[in-house]
Amino acid sequence: MNWLKRRVRPEQIRELSLLVLILAAIVFFGSFIDNYYSFRTFNRIASSVAIITVVAVGQTLVVLTRNIDLSVGSIVGFTAYFVGTLIASHNGINPILAVAIAIALGAALGVVNGVIVAWGKVPAVVVTLGTLAIYRGVLVDLSGAKTVTTDSLPQWLIDLPLVNVAPIGSLDIRALFMLALVIVVAFQIGTTYLSFARRFYAIGSNPEAAQLIGLPIKSVVFLAFVICGALSGLAGFMLLARFGNITVEAGRGLELSVVAAVVVGGVNVFGGSGTVTGAMLGAVMIGTLEQSLFRLGISEFWLDAVLGLLILLAVASDAVILQRLRQLWGGAELKLLAKETDSVSSEQSASPP
Amino acid sequence: MTRFLMGAAALAVLAALPQCALAQDAMATRGKAVSMVLLPKFLGILPFDQAHKGAEEAAKELQNPTPLQFLGPTPQNSVAGQIEIVTNATTQGVKAIMISNNSGDQIVPAAKAAQAKGIKVVTWDSPIPSSEGEDVFVAQVDFSEIGKVMADMTLDLAGPGGGKFAILSASPDAANQNAWIAAMKTALKDPKYAKLDLVDTVYGNDESEKSYTQAQALVDKYPDLKVIMSPTSVGIVAGAKALQDEKLCDKVKISGLGLPSEMLAYTKNGCAPEFALWSFIDLGYLAYYTTYLLAADALKAEEGAKFKAGRMGEYTITKDPTRAKGLRILMGPFTIYNKDNVEAAAK
Repeated sequence: MNWLKRRVRPEQIRELSLLVLILAAIVFFGSFIDNYYSFRTFNRIASSVAIITVVAVGQTLVVLTRNIDLSVGSIVGFTAYFVGTLIASHNGINPILAVAIAIALGAALGVVNGVIVAWGKVPAVVVTLGTLAIYRGVLVDLSGAKTVTTDSLPQWLIDLPLVNVAPIGSLDIRALFMLALVIVVAFQIGTTYLSFARRFYAIGSNPEAAQLIGLPIKSVVFLAFVICGALSGLAGFMLLARFGNITVEAGRGLELSVVAAVVVGGVNVFGGSGTVTGAMLGAVMIGTLEQSLFRLGISEFWLDAVLGLLILLAVASDAVILQRLRQLWGGAELKLLAKETDSVSSEQSASPP
Repeated sequence: MTRFLMGAAALAVLAALPQCALAQDAMATRGKAVSMVLLPKFLGILPFDQAHKGAEEAAKELQNPTPLQFLGPTPQNSVAGQIEIVTNATTQGVKAIMISNNSGDQIVPAAKAAQAKGIKVVTWDSPIPSSEGEDVFVAQVDFSEIGKVMADMTLDLAGPGGGKFAILSASPDAANQNAWIAAMKTALKDPKYAKLDLVDTVYGNDESEKSYTQAQALVDKYPDLKVIMSPTSVGIVAGAKALQDEKLCDKVKISGLGLPSEMLAYTKNGCAPEFALWSFIDLGYLAYYTTYLLAADALKAEEGAKFKAGRMGEYTITKDPTRAKGLRILMGPFTIYNKDNVEAAAK
């Protein structure tokens, strides 16, 4: 047991249990839906997960710093629409340039959020709730009710979601899903090993201490919002590629799925703990539910209710179960310490501070 | 194609009708200041923008010095938003409200309150189901005819052997969608359509992504599905993209009501070989004319009243045969689009 406790962190147990839950959900849906275990189902879920995941990675960074970005749905819609319009009128545009513009546009919207939160000292919930409405409002106003339609887009963009980058047997790993995987791996490595990126954790876990040791809190919070915006911009481009037809409604309500993915994925809403990989598992859970409940014929209103319930359960389990696990883990370490230093550890942990 | 020709012929007859002496001459009442609100189901999609254009055209012809207010909610907030806009317009004391109702009968109290203050409430595109609180409904086409046209197109695409088909609608509250689906179900009772099997009705809420996912779910759920019938311009185009992405266009066809400019690619590649629509510009134009004349007391909302609506010719208010109560002005006609005429219409 102690060996296990030293090797595995409580958060990892949390992620493992989520993996079990995902498998349980798949078995559950498989027993109710005909032809559920098929490559088609996998592709459905993978395509839907790809977009949520990319935004959830950005959201994770923001949540780690004890903030939240509710405006992601509007940023995704905004970039999808404007980059779509741009590509529709300039069909010859370089694909790399188009992606770069999407990322830059998203980052610019993230800058607005970041500046107001970091230097304006306005709570992130309020700021991003405001920009959620503002970005969408500006989009509706500027769009003139035009729709970006598939036939106005160049062929490479229409084909992009169907590109199969790694055929494993008859299983497709499609380009957008692969892109999401690459981003998760890159950010997972970055947030684990780069001392610079550990600042996201430091600030969220103990802001006072972070300030005392001289971390530039404002710039780090600002950076989290900019990265979140940039990734949302990239997700906007992915949304454009996947759906082709983009109305001013694109991406509306995505923030619910993304926040659910992040929280269900074990990222603590009070900052400081959680991983990008966890957020991806959360996104897989949400994507599986979204795609499968549709096929069960359950109304989308229930789907939103289920997402809400999942958020509550995840936060509650964080508060109760993870807390217990941490005590258990913490207790073990203290006992170890006690043996070494000969002090009375049991009284320490039992007595209130 | 024959239906299209008949439609065109009907339009020609309509245009050639001698102008009736009894008809109210709209030109005599022009130039009056009438504050009017045009309220679509929601903002942000092309059909309502076209209706707005048509209404502005009529406003210019009628020389109404008060500018038209084009106000609408977001799709998410459509039901509550429409009620709020009607209530606000009532408080502000406008003269007339033109509404494409997306709120079922939930709009009735607000519409009645408006009428109590002397405001004319004209519905267009989508009526108030109970017709309470509504002066008259400007119908784009006959609703029972929409049912028949939808059934015909389904049979065309499914082939003489028939088969399974499903409906991909907008929102469950949209009065016109529900009326058309009901009309289609009635039409299906005709033995001619005996081999068509309506297996499901799903709702994409007039959102591209949701409609796309719903279309995918339909083909997953019913592997032998032949046709998806989508009587909404957002649903049909998103559904067509879903079928194309699934490479299913050989097996499953989509049809319904769509805009030629948005459907062009899918009609040409065979995913949506035929679909139907009417002119939303004309609908906005006619709704404005009707409402302006009512608000200027040049027209009474009663059965048999005739009036002339500018370039569109003469219309008569009749009982609405598709609702228990209520008055209707029938615009018409339908155009069926296919690969022969869609390109010209898309321009």
